[in-house]
Amino acid sequence: MNEVIRLTNISKSFQQKTAVNHINFSIKKGEIVAILGPNGAGKTTTISMILGLLKPSTGDIDIYGQHPKHKNVREKIGVMMQEVSMMPGLKIHEILTLIRSYYPNPRSLDDLIELTGLTQQDLKTQAEKLSGGQKRRVSFALALAGNPDLIIFDEPTVGMDISSRNRFWQTIRALAKQGKTILFSTHYLQEADDVAERILLFKDGRIVADGTPSEIKSKITNQTVSFILNPDLSFEKLYQYPEIQQITRNNGRIYVHSTNADKVLAILFQEKLGAHDIQIERGKLEDPFEQLTSTNKEVI
Amino acid sequence: MKIFLLQCKMEIKRILRNKYFLFWSLVMPIIFYYIFTNVVNTNPENPSAWDAHYLMSMTVFSVMGSSIMTLGIRMVQERAEGWSKYIRMTPLSQSVYFAAQMIGQTFIHMLSITVIFASGAIINGVSLSAFEWFASGLWILFGSLPFLAIGTLIGLMKKVETAAGISNVLYMVLAVTGGMWMPLEIMPEMMQTIGKSLPAFHFGSGAWEIVQGGLPNWKNFLILVAYLTLFMLLSKYIRSKQEAV
Repeated sequence: MNEVIRLTNISKSFQQKTAVNHINFSIKKGEIVAILGPNGAGKTTTISMILGLLKPSTGDIDIYGQHPKHKNVREKIGVMMQEVSMMPGLKIHEILTLIRSYYPNPRSLDDLIELTGLTQQDLKTQAEKLSGGQKRRVSFALALAGNPDLIIFDEPTVGMDISSRNRFWQTIRALAKQGKTILFSTHYLQEADDVAERILLFKDGRIVADGTPSEIKSKITNQTVSFILNPDLSFEKLYQYPEIQQITRNNGRIYVHSTNADKVLAILFQEKLGAHDIQIERGKLEDPFEQLTSTNKEVI
Repeated sequence: MKIFLLQCKMEIKRILRNKYFLFWSLVMPIIFYYIFTNVVNTNPENPSAWDAHYLMSMTVFSVMGSSIMTLGIRMVQERAEGWSKYIRMTPLSQSVYFAAQMIGQTFIHMLSITVIFASGAIINGVSLSAFEWFASGLWILFGSLPFLAIGTLIGLMKKVETAAGISNVLYMVLAVTGGMWMPLEIMPEMMQTIGKSLPAFHFGSGAWEIVQGGLPNWKNFLILVAYLTLFMLLSKYIRSKQEAV
């Protein structure tokens, strides 16, 4: 079956608060999908429901066509949650051996060491004596222990330094090449942009955008054409074009905001305004993210 | 089955590595035993009977402690650190997980019983018939069940500190009212009445009867079973309340 995850009309309310509000999406085998959104957007709640830790208030979740709590599902999933947890009283190699024994086709210990950068020192350490960084490596190894087809991470890189972060994403890309399906949540835009093939943008418990990073960018990113114009000349004419969303003036430069910079340039030449020193700027992904997820959204 | 055995083995390893367990469940009872049978002169009518009686008291005291404290606090710790949540996402079934904890705990109790019995034989030359050794050990294993259920109740608490505090107090109260430290007969009548309505006395009583050549009273048995049922129902009720969110 090609479809790995399907959420149909999923909501979750806690007392008065609605954390997730009627969302629908499905994820196919081999996709790398980021759930992107600010804190409180419903990312962790959604992931917890996918993992069967929370019961949805409405809707259905199917994973490999089965209920999230089904044993067959559990055998195919690897998970790394935000809070890193360890079984106190055991050494890391013992924990890994134990967890590997739960799965029908576990990854070898050597494989896990290579993928996660665990050291021999880490393996001999007792769980309660691990440092923060070691804990992260171990919980990554635990997520991969069962050689899962679907790997789910909730804010995986929080608390990682830059080099472990790079290493982590390198491993994820390698796993994706092996055909693994990967779903992770993040509030780092850069991460979603760099790693994911598809972004589900969450805001206030809803999905406000779903597409490839570049689709999301081009759909909502403003491009700006700016130029200098002789102060005696008027640019009023530009307002008649629907492609132009907004015109601002700053330090003698005129900024024309539009989703289509090519068209703006054409208009400028067509109208023969006498604009010079023309520059084009393309917005970063941060901008649409801010736009889409900030509550005091300005009406453009 | 392989998973279950490995899980049990790991549970046992974990308990043995716990320094608090070793101290409270093995070192302390043996020290107490030595003090109250050798250093402090209690002038018992029949010293060898007292040595055997007090050996049972201390073994019961040890097993009761690890049932309430080791199990309960560990459960809270595992939940607080998110380990139980992680386990729920693995293919390991909850019942195997729980059963392994119970088996692990029981194995540990067998170990405690053996070690404390042996030290009784070494320190005071306590000599019982093979049947008495075996039957009293078995009774102590059985009698630990209601206290394991208390452990799972403690295990439902949210914070490790609260669980540790409450289980400590509970443990000490049960030990005193159960006549573990000094026989209930020498306590005020009021204490005796209270003590006899609580499970700890009946836990000890069965073992004391056995080493005196008798058998546990049916009342000891029934009261322990009643408490076990009560605690299990209570634990189930609280769990369903907690999961309702």
